[in-house]
Amino acid sequence: MMATANSIPDVTPSSAPAAVELLVMVASMPPNQLETLLSRLSETFATDRMLIAVPDAPADTHPTLRIIATPATKASWTLTAADFANSAELARKNDARAILMLGPEAASLTSTSLHDLANAILSSNTDLAIPLYQLPPYAGLVNSAILYPLTRALFAQSVRFPLAIDLGLSVRMAERLAAAANRFVALHQGDAIIWPVDEASTAGYSIHEVEVGPRTLPHPVEFDLNAILALVAGSLFADIDIKAAFWQRARPLTSARTPIPQPPMTEAAADIAPMLDSFRLAYTNLREIWSLVLPPNSLLGLKRLSSTDAAAFRMPDNLWARIVFDFLLAYRLRTINRGHLLGALTPLYLAWVASHINITASGTNSEHHIEAVAAAFEADKPYLVSRWRWPDRFNP
Amino acid sequence: MRYIFASIIQTDTSQSAQPVTIDSSSIWHHMSDALYQSLYRVLSLLIAILPGILAFFVALVVFTVVGMIISALLRRGLTWVKFDNRLTRYQVSTEWTPTHSPTELVARASFWGCVLLGLVIGVSAFDASYATGTTLPLTLLPYLTHAVGAILLLVAGNLIARFLARTVLIGAVNAQLHYARFLALGVKWLVLVVTAAMILDHLQIGGHVVELAFGILFGGIVLTLALAVGLGSRDLVSRSLESRAERTSERGVTPPPTGTTGASDKIRHF
Repeated sequence: MMATANSIPDVTPSSAPAAVELLVMVASMPPNQLETLLSRLSETFATDRMLIAVPDAPADTHPTLRIIATPATKASWTLTAADFANSAELARKNDARAILMLGPEAASLTSTSLHDLANAILSSNTDLAIPLYQLPPYAGLVNSAILYPLTRALFAQSVRFPLAIDLGLSVRMAERLAAAANRFVALHQGDAIIWPVDEASTAGYSIHEVEVGPRTLPHPVEFDLNAILALVAGSLFADIDIKAAFWQRARPLTSARTPIPQPPMTEAAADIAPMLDSFRLAYTNLREIWSLVLPPNSLLGLKRLSSTDAAAFRMPDNLWARIVFDFLLAYRLRTINRGHLLGALTPLYLAWVASHINITASGTNSEHHIEAVAAAFEADKPYLVSRWRWPDRFNP
Repeated sequence: MRYIFASIIQTDTSQSAQPVTIDSSSIWHHMSDALYQSLYRVLSLLIAILPGILAFFVALVVFTVVGMIISALLRRGLTWVKFDNRLTRYQVSTEWTPTHSPTELVARASFWGCVLLGLVIGVSAFDASYATGTTLPLTLLPYLTHAVGAILLLVAGNLIARFLARTVLIGAVNAQLHYARFLALGVKWLVLVVTAAMILDHLQIGGHVVELAFGILFGGIVLTLALAVGLGSRDLVSRSLESRAERTSERGVTPPPTGTTGASDKIRHF
């Protein structure tokens, strides 16, 4: 998406430049979007103290901006290990004070959003500025179902988008992320996912959530939901496994969050029939595999769900929390092959999506439901900790 | 008169008893000779094989014990150096995700490696003992050595069959194929049939009959699966292709990845 770790050219500006205060790392994007973004950046920040790194440097349309080219790498819909490694290296070379990482489709962010993200780092002691997007009700559902509740319950961080694609980083945060990223880059896994919130929590760095309003989210390169879900959930599960010593100690939530205000639903609810078909088909065929992972109570809950009508289809929040925790435990214990495990999670996730759509269609605010799900995860955390420590005592 | 009769009877009796006594002792003598020779041969064979059998079991037991010790030491050592954590951190491939932890795998592999080594050495010792011992043919020996390979083939075949069946089942369910279980079962039996054929071939049982039977059976299963999928889901496949073609024509040459599986376009998973 941005650049490889060791292929960044040296920056040699023509005239004696001012010290770089802000390094902006821009993802690969179409020329028109890049033009819009550069215009916004030039309006928002002092151009002499800003250095912009782009994979494909445009023609000299912005002479006031200091732009350096970084060779484009494999396109990705999210920030990857190679991006973090590159940003830290560039920041080190240019002695930058703060780094602003902007993902694909960042041109949809307003000037105010860009300013707030960078300013959170420049004008305070914040190490990680993470955006709070205002998305349509049925967007970013994997984030709402798994990433946000798990991060909130385990790392006690109420960051709504843990896998945000725009970030503000302090230098030490960038170094920390680069250290995590370099392990993957060294193994030629530059497209691996890094979890900034988990890293910041473990390091004890300060995190600040910045409201950035609506944003166009890029489409994943991978077409298949199963593959992306396995990739993202597997990456998060692995990160949780590595940081087990940290999150097992009980911590109160740093700050209670208020749900993002959302406009009332004006359009008809999405069609949940294909998702329910998928879930019912999976219940018929994958019950044996699920029974290796899930306790009888969860299986009973799924049995009830499989015979529920589409209109009345509701997955209880505590059941979903228990399912995710049990899959996380099975991932850790390697109860079955991890590829199989994450594949078997997809139909259950689709069942949750169907339930979420039904709940929001019945008048409940989408964000309120997501907060309730996150609260269910928090309430069930003792179960996870117990089974993590003594898995044999709690065999399903 | 009485004496004469008595003498006749005595004579007759003695005359008739004489050859009977001689015959019985001769038969018994021959029988006992034969029995002694048989017993001698059996005991000789047993004595010739016994050291080999003893060597086989001693090698197996010794290497099993050595394997247990090495396995325990490795398990403790790797746990102490946090091998699992390090490997997870520097994981080379995310595709290969075994069911057990790397430490457990290394420990088990070392144990079973030792057991296998014990088996091989035991069989070699048995073979050497046989070669220097009796001249009697021992046709079971080749089977004994091949049996080890056959058992390994059986175990590997079963593991691969189970793994592939599960992979196909999950993939097919996620692709919303209604014949997912049937497909997984077909794949499982295909692998098991291949395994069985390989085992029989390895044991040199059946010869060409096995090859022929395997070809017919394997071809039959593939044909059955092809017919079942082709005929049974013709409508499903055509609908799938049509909808894909429609999406392609509507949105350009390559369909944009919406991340949805058949659900409405309003839904964005990522």
